[in-house]
Amino acid sequence: MGSIFQTIPLNNYVILSTLLFCIGVLGVLFRRNAIIIFMCVELMLNAVNLLLVAFSTYFGDAAGQVFVFFIMAVAAAEVAVGLAILTMIFRNTGSVDINFLNKLKH
Amino acid sequence: MNTLLVLAGIGVFGLFSEIFRFKKALLPVVFLGLAAALVTTVCDWNTNVSYFNNMMKVDNFSLAFSAVMICITMLWFIISPGFFTDETSKSDHFTLILFALTGGVLMSSFNNMVMLFLGIEILSISMYILAGSNKKSLASNEAAFKYFLMGSFATGFLLFGIALIYGATGSFDIDVIATRLSEGNLNSSVMLFAGILLTMIAMAFKVSAAPFHFWAPDVYQGAPTVITAFMSTVVKTAAVAAFFRLFIHTFTSMTEVWHTALMIISAATILVGNITAVYQTNVKRMLAYSSIAHAGYMLMAIVSMNSAAPSALLFYVIAYSVSSIASFTILLMVSNSTGNDSIESFYGLGKKNPFLAIMTLISMLSLAGIPPTAGFFAKYYIFIAAMENHMMPLVLIAVLGSLIGVYYYFRVIIAMFRDGNEKEIDFSGRYKLVMIIAGILALALGVAPGIVTGLL
Amino acid sequence: MIQLAWLIPVFPLVGFLITSLGGKKLPKSISGTLASTMVLASFIVSLITFIQFNGQPVTIDLFDWISSGSLSIPFSFMIDQLSLIMLLIITGVGFLIHVYSIGYMHGDEGFSRFFSYLNLFIFFMLLLVMGSNYIVMFTGWEGVGLCSYLLIGFWFKNPEYNKAANKAFIMNRIGDLGFLLGIILIYITFGTTSFNIIFPSAGAFPNNQPVIIAITMLLFIGAMGKSAQIPLYTWLPDAMAGPTPVSALIHAATMVTAGIYMVIRSNVLYSLAPATLSVITVIGAATAIFSAAIAITQTDIKKVLAYSTVSQLGYMFVALGVGAYSTALFHVTTHAFFKALLFLAAGSVIHAMSGEQDIRKMGALKKKLPITYFVFLIGTLAIIGCPPLAGFFSKDEILAKVYVQNKAIFGVLVITTLMTSIYMLRLFFLTFFGSFRGTHDQEHHLHESPKSMTIPLVILAVLSAIGGFMGLPEVFSEHHSFNSFLEPLLTFPSSFIHEEMSHSLEWSLMIASTIVLVIIFFITRKAYTSSKGVPALHENDLSYLAKASYNKFYIDELYNFIIVRPLHIISEVFYKIVDSRMIDGLVNSVNKTVVASSRTLRMVQTGNVGFYIFAMVFGIIAILLFNLVL
Repeated sequence: MGSIFQTIPLNNYVILSTLLFCIGVLGVLFRRNAIIIFMCVELMLNAVNLLLVAFSTYFGDAAGQVFVFFIMAVAAAEVAVGLAILTMIFRNTGSVDINFLNKLKH
Repeated sequence: MNTLLVLAGIGVFGLFSEIFRFKKALLPVVFLGLAAALVTTVCDWNTNVSYFNNMMKVDNFSLAFSAVMICITMLWFIISPGFFTDETSKSDHFTLILFALTGGVLMSSFNNMVMLFLGIEILSISMYILAGSNKKSLASNEAAFKYFLMGSFATGFLLFGIALIYGATGSFDIDVIATRLSEGNLNSSVMLFAGILLTMIAMAFKVSAAPFHFWAPDVYQGAPTVITAFMSTVVKTAAVAAFFRLFIHTFTSMTEVWHTALMIISAATILVGNITAVYQTNVKRMLAYSSIAHAGYMLMAIVSMNSAAPSALLFYVIAYSVSSIASFTILLMVSNSTGNDSIESFYGLGKKNPFLAIMTLISMLSLAGIPPTAGFFAKYYIFIAAMENHMMPLVLIAVLGSLIGVYYYFRVIIAMFRDGNEKEIDFSGRYKLVMIIAGILALALGVAPGIVTGLL
Repeated sequence: MIQLAWLIPVFPLVGFLITSLGGKKLPKSISGTLASTMVLASFIVSLITFIQFNGQPVTIDLFDWISSGSLSIPFSFMIDQLSLIMLLIITGVGFLIHVYSIGYMHGDEGFSRFFSYLNLFIFFMLLLVMGSNYIVMFTGWEGVGLCSYLLIGFWFKNPEYNKAANKAFIMNRIGDLGFLLGIILIYITFGTTSFNIIFPSAGAFPNNQPVIIAITMLLFIGAMGKSAQIPLYTWLPDAMAGPTPVSALIHAATMVTAGIYMVIRSNVLYSLAPATLSVITVIGAATAIFSAAIAITQTDIKKVLAYSTVSQLGYMFVALGVGAYSTALFHVTTHAFFKALLFLAAGSVIHAMSGEQDIRKMGALKKKLPITYFVFLIGTLAIIGCPPLAGFFSKDEILAKVYVQNKAIFGVLVITTLMTSIYMLRLFFLTFFGSFRGTHDQEHHLHESPKSMTIPLVILAVLSAIGGFMGLPEVFSEHHSFNSFLEPLLTFPSSFIHEEMSHSLEWSLMIASTIVLVIIFFITRKAYTSSKGVPALHENDLSYLAKASYNKFYIDELYNFIIVRPLHIISEVFYKIVDSRMIDGLVNSVNKTVVASSRTLRMVQTGNVGFYIFAMVFGIIAILLFNLVL
């Protein structure tokens, strides 16, 4: 178990996950297509998953990996709902560009 | 614990009622189930048991908040059936509400980060769907989308925060985390600090605190009014309870990290919510901003961090939920009759519907925090708790915010006594029942606040 | 069982909720019966509590009412000798008046509303006498004031009645302010408002300590308002605008005696402040004689009774002032019986006369209203102190006690007693004897009242007749049962002279007063049964003194001139200069700032999710930087 951390230190995992997470955040910030934004949110969640698995292995504690399963299951449910909402919007407006959704404001 | 099982059980029953066509029995069963859940909650009082390997802990704090949520949901179920008459998927909505309530109960009794996460997600996913439940309305679609997008974005931060805290302390159990934090000498403080701040931000998003409140006005306005009523009462209660539990129980030894930031967030929320509400002409949107402002007051209880805070928060949540559900019920009837949510819809209410006018008066006074209503003592206790912790600047800002609040709540009251809208509003007895219950509670708590404050 | 005494106020509260929420949908027969049943239930519980009471005061804690920091106010009741007597009076007389009202108010469109107010009144009155601290008492105090206001203005379509209601409300507010300040001062001095902590610890204070004098004076100002003493008495006669059962219940038997109750409740404090007690004595005596002087020339049947009430309340305050607390409560009890009786009987007369209240238009009603005539006679004899009716014993006892303590005040009271006999007998003879002076229609319409009205009258008449025997003076029996019942609660002022009047003196006093009574009886009978005795319809025909008395010595006009008008002028000045120029200017500029910032902040909410997320991320970065870097 410990061998992997002898070659790659834990800090690298943390940095990688943080980078992945930030890429996800930037994607959500700058993309306008709703589908791609969803993918970016998924990326954020997977960055967390990677981080949790790394910690779990490092501590020799299974709880982190179990949490990852929960996150995956919930993320699947979330995406299902999200896509359903998108389909509904697409039916009504014919577009998935988030900038068209600004009727509710001020 | 039994509460949770009962609630999940009737939720599943709701799903089956669609398939096996016993929809007629649904509402009575839901009521019985909620009553049973309430009874189990009350029975667990003072037991203090933890379940599932310490994943959940049922203490008086969680029981009190669960009971509040269940009671408000019962009131909600009295008003909502009228709203969904033309919908085919009534049972779906009821089921989702029940699941959301389950999530809320979980959020008030979690003892492990996993449970917190699951509770938040069970609640949130149900609410995403419910916000968009008026499928044909573009506003409802937009509300659902905004809520979903920002909600899942915030979930990402919550999880990242949890992961970092896990990395720093090696556990998800909040008791263990609290012990490790108080022992000190943790290897990576940056990771821990970032983790705490990120969870704080995610929770601030859930309670709609500034500057993470942007979703709230749009979602509240776009969602169907009954759903908004649920969101501004039960969902807010759950989020605040979880926030309180997490920060007061777990991160007390790390106050230097989050205390100042949360204080600023609280002050900003009070000011932004109250000031923006002043200019609103749509009552539903005004109530949304008002609910943001109230979130700010609730956060004051968290930053107070003393023994008076839990009961002050509980009182505030009850007072706010009761007056809020009353005002949404009134709004529902007024907008059903006039066709929109604008303040002009309230014109002439004083003359043609004195009963509605009195109820509006009570709930607006209570939201504004004017005696003899519950809202007054709610603010009073919160301010006292904050003052005991010597946070005078925050209290001053909060008082200032309340003064601004009076301005827009009174606009509704004044509107009722202007001329216009001759048509009397008909409403069924169930609305009247909810308003009477809420009105009596708002007055009773304003006259005898000791009933609640002694609990925690 | 005593622990169940909290039920006593709950019954009328339930009655109030049902009758008020049921509103017009509730059939009349039900709302009246329901309201009466609720009060009867309270009476029964009170009676059982009274029977089981063993002499030890009991405190019943219900719940923590207000608690924050060091301030803790429990919502709790206190059952002791004093509250038990008041409970029995309130629920007993209250029940009879409820029953009477079913007959009296039938046909009124606000029937249910009337009973809901009455029930609410009983609830607050019970709260007032049962509360175990000043805050609960004050709640009841304010509540009865509210109900009194609502019931005086019950026929709100008449603007005169609304004025009377407002007057009562404002006069009472002045008193309440005093009471409230007194409570605050008590809290500052003792650190609590609970009776069973304050009174034991008050013993540590020496006599005439300034703070105790201040507390007792402030509380007495509250009592002056509620119990209509000079200078705050003018609202009570005007309060007769309400329906007659209300006058009987609130403005004669119960609410107006709240001030006396409060002083007796605080007797420990008052006994430490002889200075306040002498003020009370003087004000009580002045009120007694002054209002009796007004009553002599009044021509409205209810006004006469109202001034008589003010005068009798003055008596009670004199008794309090000399330290004879239990005697005052004894007079409260007997007065509740005979004054409720007189008012209800007057109501029966008014009912028969189709709403006419002017005694100049009555006369010779004896034949037409035999029961009313009979009970009115008993009430009159009781109030003027004819032996052996209730008023004889209580009034005689007050006179005896005052004689021992203060001879001058005794003289004033004796004159008042004579005046009382004159105006009451005048009222009695003008109403029931002589010739009928009303219109033909009224004469045709004359009829005895229905059973629901006459039965309560008869019961009250019996009580007025025999009620005095519960406090037989020591001349007649071994010991004074009423006084010894109350004794454990009382502390007497140090100047209090405990010796009783010698029995021979007491006997001669009784005989003398009876002889004088008989003489007055025959003189008034001669004067007021003939047509010459009927007062003139125009006040110009009255003599100078009678005119002044008829116009209530112009006190209302005086108040108007020295208080109301200057206040108007001052408020005008404030409005024009301070308010419009200074405050409005300030408020407007603040207002403008808020609205402008609201408009700006509102524009931040662009409706674009991309922007929201951007703002959120910006917030996150700001917080992280703020905490991690700084």
